[in-house]
Amino acid sequence: MGAIEVRDLRKEFKAYSSRSGLKGAFRDLLTRNYKVIPAVNDISFSVKQGEMVGYIGENGAGKSTTIKMLTGILEPTSGSVTVNNMNPHRERERFVQTIGVVFGQRSQLWWDIAVQESFRLLKKVYKVSDEDYNNHMELVIKTLDIGPLLDKPVRKLSLGQRMRCELAAALIHNPPLLFLDEPTIGLDVLVKLKIREFLKEINEKYNTTILLTTHDLTDIEALCERVIMLDEGQIIYDGALKSLKEKWGEGKEIQFQFLEPAELKTLEEATSGLQVKWEVDEKKQVFTAFTEDNEETISQVIAKTVMAFRIKDVNIDETSTEEIIRNIYEKGMV
Amino acid sequence: MFYFSMFFQYVAQYMKTRLEYRADLLVEIFSDLLFQAVNLIFIIVVFGHTQFLGGWSREEIIFIYGFFLVPYALFSAFFNIWDFNERYIVKGELDRILTRPIHSLFQIILERMELESLFGVFTGVGVMFYAGSKLGLTVSWYDPFVFVLFVVGGVLVYGGIFILLACISFWADARTSIMPMMYNIGNYGRYPVDIYNPVIRFILTWILPFAFVGVYPSAYFLGREEWYSYAFLTPLIGVVFFILSIFTWNEGVKKYRGAGN
Repeated sequence: MGAIEVRDLRKEFKAYSSRSGLKGAFRDLLTRNYKVIPAVNDISFSVKQGEMVGYIGENGAGKSTTIKMLTGILEPTSGSVTVNNMNPHRERERFVQTIGVVFGQRSQLWWDIAVQESFRLLKKVYKVSDEDYNNHMELVIKTLDIGPLLDKPVRKLSLGQRMRCELAAALIHNPPLLFLDEPTIGLDVLVKLKIREFLKEINEKYNTTILLTTHDLTDIEALCERVIMLDEGQIIYDGALKSLKEKWGEGKEIQFQFLEPAELKTLEEATSGLQVKWEVDEKKQVFTAFTEDNEETISQVIAKTVMAFRIKDVNIDETSTEEIIRNIYEKGMV
Repeated sequence: MFYFSMFFQYVAQYMKTRLEYRADLLVEIFSDLLFQAVNLIFIIVVFGHTQFLGGWSREEIIFIYGFFLVPYALFSAFFNIWDFNERYIVKGELDRILTRPIHSLFQIILERMELESLFGVFTGVGVMFYAGSKLGLTVSWYDPFVFVLFVVGGVLVYGGIFILLACISFWADARTSIMPMMYNIGNYGRYPVDIYNPVIRFILTWILPFAFVGVYPSAYFLGREEWYSYAFLTPLIGVVFFILSIFTWNEGVKKYRGAGN
């Protein structure tokens, strides 16, 4: 049995619409118009213990709703959810002992009291023994580098400091499964890196399953082998991040910056006959050539471009994950 | 047992936070006292114009007020859920509550307690002793026990009603301004119900049984035998309403829709 088993999971919300005008307002008092909108539309997937899965989708695609059903906050309209061999909503109090949750936009910690007091209280809430706490939290505190923050009240911490403490708080009872909803939102690069390192370490050491939703695809690239992609409440892709890239990330990007003013038209003429598409950024500084992933073509494009204009900088990139995802959403399918 | 220990953990934590903001604490206690004094003055002013109110003397009414203050203080200390809709539903704080292994209502009670309100217990007992001595009431050995029983009943009545009101938020989307109104209606229980119109009396006894927080139990201590049967109903009504409210709460949590991000 996996850590998470989801079958035909569905969650519907009633969306009320109000009629216009005063007359409409009175009619609304008696009967209200509503539409039943499925936020999560019959999805199925399973996650094995120790997997790190990225759960991605646009705003309103149903990510948060799924997470809330998996954590026992919401009851599904239909379908079955089994997480850690329990029904999250029905057996909530027993179930939440086995998961850790971090909502990036919501604090688990008490605002007014020192971080370690929050930890102490949570330790009691989760009935963690002193021995387990000391063994486990020593590592967590060290890896996240929050030792010096422990005696400060939460309200005096910066966002990055707070997030690290939130993460530690979610792990006090060393749960086998960790849900992270936008854990790196608004954080600077250094903190992001630290958090990623930490998650990897936890995953390796305790075989913790991690389900992560984020808008920052670099998080997913750094951590997850597998992604589940959601659109309008349905799963449109579930599989390895790598094969997603192979399938969609055909081709390379070559970025040029020139010493002299360049024209898109001239470049297109210069490289005519090759499989290449040119684009320029808004400031007319960076010119990007999209080509197929073929050394011969790439060399030729570069050679012909160099002949046309003098070059300041060249970069060869694979198509970024972000672009792949954007492509998929624009085309609406995988 | 676990819930007991959690309760004391939260109380200890609460004290620590409160002691950090001593000035705040003093201001709050002071404003509570002021509020109670204003109510007392109101009673005295009313009786400046008349000797009896529906057959009840000034001291008796003051006694009822004194009794009312005790369960009310306990209620205000532990059932601070008047802003439940905004704080927990609209802002989605209930999400966090629901990811912790303690009953959700109990967690909210722990988080929202305001122990300084407990000072009202002293004021209440003081007022009762003052009015009682004016009335020449005597205290039997079993009276303190009956008192505790009635106070607990009263707290459960108050708590039950307000939990039920908070539960509305699970089903209804819109914000309601019903809570402040209820605080006002709750005050009616402080006065003898026979001064009201029968419909209001019925409501205060069976629908929103605020009369069981003030006048009915006090009638026992005042030796008003015609009300004894009501007085001894207090704990029962308290338990019934409280159980009903917990049941409704548990159903409501299933209906919780969560706040959008």
